[in-house]
Amino acid sequence: MRTVRIGIAAAVVACLAAGCSGKATGGGGESGGVKTGPGVTKDTITVSALTDLTGPYAALGKGVTQAQKLYFDQLNAAGGVCGRKVELLVRDHGYDVQKAVAAYSEIAPRSAALPQVIGSPITNALRSRLESDKLLTIPQAWAHTLLGSRYIQLTGTTYDIDMVNAVAFLVKEKGLKAGDRIGHIHLEGDYGQSALAGSRFAAEKSGLKLVEQQVKATDADMTAQAAAFRKAGVKAILVSVSPKQAASLAGVTAAMGLKVPFAASNSAFAQQLLATPVAPVLEREYYVMTAATPFSADVPGVKKLAGDYQKAFPGQPLDSSVFSGYTTAAIVGEALKKACAAKDLTREGIVTAHRSAKAFDIGLGGAPQDYSQWTRPASRAGYIVKPDKAALGGTRVHQEPAESDLAKSYNPPAG
Amino acid sequence: MPDSIPPSGRRDPGPAGAGTLADPAAPAGVASPPPGGDGARPASRAGRGGWARAAAGLAAAAAVCAVPFYAEAFWLQAGLFAMAAAIGAIGLNLLTGVAGQLSMGHAFFLAVGAYTYVWLAAEPERAAGHTLHGLGWPPPLAAAVAVAAAGIAGGLFSPIAGRLRGASLGIATLALVFLGQHVLFRAEAVTGGVNGRAVPPMEILGLRLADSPEPPVVLGVPFGGLEMLWFPGAALLALAAWFARGVVYGRPGRALTTIRDHEIAAGAMGVPVARYRAGVFVVSSVYAGLAGVLLALVFQRAVPEYFGLALALDYLAMIVIGGLGSVGGAAAGAVFVSLLPQLLTRYGDAIPFVAQPGEEGLSPSEAARVLYGAAFVAVLLYLPRGLRGLLPRCAAPASRARAVRAGDAGDPPR
Amino acid sequence: MTALAELLVNGLASGAVYALVALGFVIVHRSTEVINFAHPSLLLAGGYLVAVLHDDIGFWPALGAGVAGAAALGALVEFVVLRRLRSGSHGTLSIVTIGVDIVLTVEIARRIGAEVLPLGDPWGDRVVQVGGVTIAQARIAALGVAVAAITVFLLAFKYTSWGVAMRAAAEDRATAALMGVRLGRVSAGAWAVAGALAALAALFLCVFPTPGLDRATSFAALKALPAAVIGGVDSTTGALAGGLLIGVTEALAVGYQDEAALLRGGFADIAPYLLMIVVLLIRPTGLFGTRELARA
Repeated sequence: MRTVRIGIAAAVVACLAAGCSGKATGGGGESGGVKTGPGVTKDTITVSALTDLTGPYAALGKGVTQAQKLYFDQLNAAGGVCGRKVELLVRDHGYDVQKAVAAYSEIAPRSAALPQVIGSPITNALRSRLESDKLLTIPQAWAHTLLGSRYIQLTGTTYDIDMVNAVAFLVKEKGLKAGDRIGHIHLEGDYGQSALAGSRFAAEKSGLKLVEQQVKATDADMTAQAAAFRKAGVKAILVSVSPKQAASLAGVTAAMGLKVPFAASNSAFAQQLLATPVAPVLEREYYVMTAATPFSADVPGVKKLAGDYQKAFPGQPLDSSVFSGYTTAAIVGEALKKACAAKDLTREGIVTAHRSAKAFDIGLGGAPQDYSQWTRPASRAGYIVKPDKAALGGTRVHQEPAESDLAKSYNPPAG
Repeated sequence: MPDSIPPSGRRDPGPAGAGTLADPAAPAGVASPPPGGDGARPASRAGRGGWARAAAGLAAAAAVCAVPFYAEAFWLQAGLFAMAAAIGAIGLNLLTGVAGQLSMGHAFFLAVGAYTYVWLAAEPERAAGHTLHGLGWPPPLAAAVAVAAAGIAGGLFSPIAGRLRGASLGIATLALVFLGQHVLFRAEAVTGGVNGRAVPPMEILGLRLADSPEPPVVLGVPFGGLEMLWFPGAALLALAAWFARGVVYGRPGRALTTIRDHEIAAGAMGVPVARYRAGVFVVSSVYAGLAGVLLALVFQRAVPEYFGLALALDYLAMIVIGGLGSVGGAAAGAVFVSLLPQLLTRYGDAIPFVAQPGEEGLSPSEAARVLYGAAFVAVLLYLPRGLRGLLPRCAAPASRARAVRAGDAGDPPR
Repeated sequence: MTALAELLVNGLASGAVYALVALGFVIVHRSTEVINFAHPSLLLAGGYLVAVLHDDIGFWPALGAGVAGAAALGALVEFVVLRRLRSGSHGTLSIVTIGVDIVLTVEIARRIGAEVLPLGDPWGDRVVQVGGVTIAQARIAALGVAVAAITVFLLAFKYTSWGVAMRAAAEDRATAALMGVRLGRVSAGAWAVAGALAALAALFLCVFPTPGLDRATSFAALKALPAAVIGGVDSTTGALAGGLLIGVTEALAVGYQDEAALLRGGFADIAPYLLMIVVLLIRPTGLFGTRELARA
């Protein structure tokens, strides 16, 4: 018993002695007339990416990360920001929330902004910490439930807006009319739920009957879902699943003789699918709703980006992840430049600078983005693209960005 | 009690005598002492060794208490993850290492602990478009009930566990992980579904163990959630280890090892086999529940995806690498397995075979998995006693228990 | 009615593929009493070889290479890891295979990356219509090949000297060794056969209606684990029955998910495990397994 008491006493003494620790609080300061915060030193600004290089979204993560490296390399070559180099710190979480949370704890104290966070569950898990740390964050996820935070910026359209536009497109161009049935296959979780919110709204407004099929991320064979759609007699199918599942669905429906148009979320297509046997089906009747300009589009900025990327990373696929990575890095880059002009490189200063952009456009095509409010998507107009083996990046423009009347009347409930 | 006993002295006529069964390789004529040799410990406690022990314990306690004052958040978080993992691993080691019941389902019981705590302690809320239930209990009470709930879950599964041996039991517990995860994904109102839900912070006597905009400053160091959690975490780990040592080196431990090594003989000697087998399952689940609660608190978010097969295998790897059957080994294995990926990620640029993000080659998390998979195999091949076996023999009483024979219970008597 | 028939046929076809995998578990268990948790990685390795080779050397040679490669890998694991532990207990050996699986799976998954690799099979997405029932040609091929492979294996098991040696070893290792059975060869052979069957199964898991091989393909092998246990992990007949049972259960669970709320949200994925727990509660050694005596 005595040893225990001595132990406690000694522990207390040790704890008191520890008081001379130099563990400092996150420093703010000023240098050269510019207010600085965490992640900003005399000669560097550190921004961080929480990406997935080893998990289910490794293809996305790799493209995004390399494109962001390209952007910051170009930015630094052009002199950096505020006389400082911008350094990109990359942490791979393999789509594992725990690893992501751990990685965040490591990098957050030395970061000025997060130009990349892959995954809705991960962004959700970090949300309250991002807000209390005041970090400008650009997630690579487009669920409308992520809206509503001043510090989290979704780019382009959200999944629900995409599906509203998709239904409008199907009604206008594919002849769907009131009373018809329309299928929607979607993943469980934020992505699928967000898309479903849009399709439910649009189906009701257009008098269509929605046939919902929910699948799990691990499902690979879509035979049962295709059979259910056939049985229900759907006239078109909305697709909000993984690319691999989309390929299975397209293959099975074609094999069953169910010939209907597909309208898919931007995460339900990958260039790699054009190497699989279902490529002809996809090229025939598959439409992807996306805010990302396809590389085959006739936009000078995008052509230059394609050339630069292929030079920097020869042989790497050129797809929407590259576009998305580059633009999100540019959003952070522009915010840093503005913050520098306002002489405030603190985290709050960076966010304020970013939120002042009402019509953000860096010459990469697409509709101008409004970043001044955070309870609504930055844009309601997205491209409709079609898979095409011959096109650079695997897709070509089917319809230029346009805001459907249906989308104008839709307001996503902020999460 | 005599200071020492003759090496051949078998003072305990009980099941401990079966030590010989556990150790067929022991030289003939020398009965291998039961794990922890009943005589050795009291002797050292009373003698001069006792003071050395107390001093060492004191120094360790002081060192542990000083950590939050110096270490940055990354290390604190890594340390807390390791503490939680160590508690869980110690529990699993009682079940698999000591009692020889292969469990691949530890992740399930962690989930039971974590989610019961979240559900009991959280206030009802609306998130991402659906309502989340919560009872809003005081966190300490919620934590205690959560730990008990994990134990009850273990008790409910033990009738199945009692019918199975060895690898079959492993597969059945594997099923538990898949079934459990399915339920977690479906029970959105409680778990938040795929997105998981926020974990309410622990509150002890009005003190919230969480980050706050105006953190209390202790001796010049601002105390956030991680700093404050460090102390209860360390205390719980110490308590868990102390209790487990009592089980391993006491009467139950001897009974369990005997059951592991020869169930029929154990039964013949009067060990209530079924009761012990069920009991150790419950105890191990309680440990898992505690680990789950602590993990959830550190994590600040509970996500069903996390409590899957990979986590279950992680725990198995911890006890295999650390050394089956040993409390210290389990803790060492837990530290190894939970810190390795984080260290490789943070210091990967200094290690030649680890590729940086965007480069070809093994990424840090892949390298960590390959390394621990390889360590797993290598330990079983070359270090049958695990990391624990690297220590000098005197420091590792459990090593005599021939920890390696742990997975044995499934063997038919030969 | 046609819907039910379609579900049953598809269920039987995927069940036959599960049976191939389950047979691998059983063969290894019979010859070495080890549950081979590294089986999923053998399956992934076989599939990966077919996927990378078929463009250069054509589908059939690639399939041959995949089967041979997975067989060689199986034998290698047996030789390099398990043989060193021959003296260890079977429980320890089973645990070692988990470590082997982690290492192999990480490496192959890294090579696959985020790609979906088509295997270049000749069936493509063609389907056959029989009285309103639609079945993919690949599914029919799966059923046929699996039945053929299992028949060949069972015949070999019964009549060849290797099969006799293996059964002898499973019966009583010591006596078999005394009678001149080379245990090393028997167990290496068992691992090789298991690997070959896994590669074959990988092919049918990755063809239409699945677009190709990816890193998650090995999860299918984990579904076959309950198949082996349900049948009785030491029974070849049991592997067949267990595989078919699981295939059909899964197909029905998916097919009727719209009718019952319980079946929704991925119930089909866990149905094999649920079925396994129920079987284990009633018969701890599985449907066809040998009952162990002398339990206290």
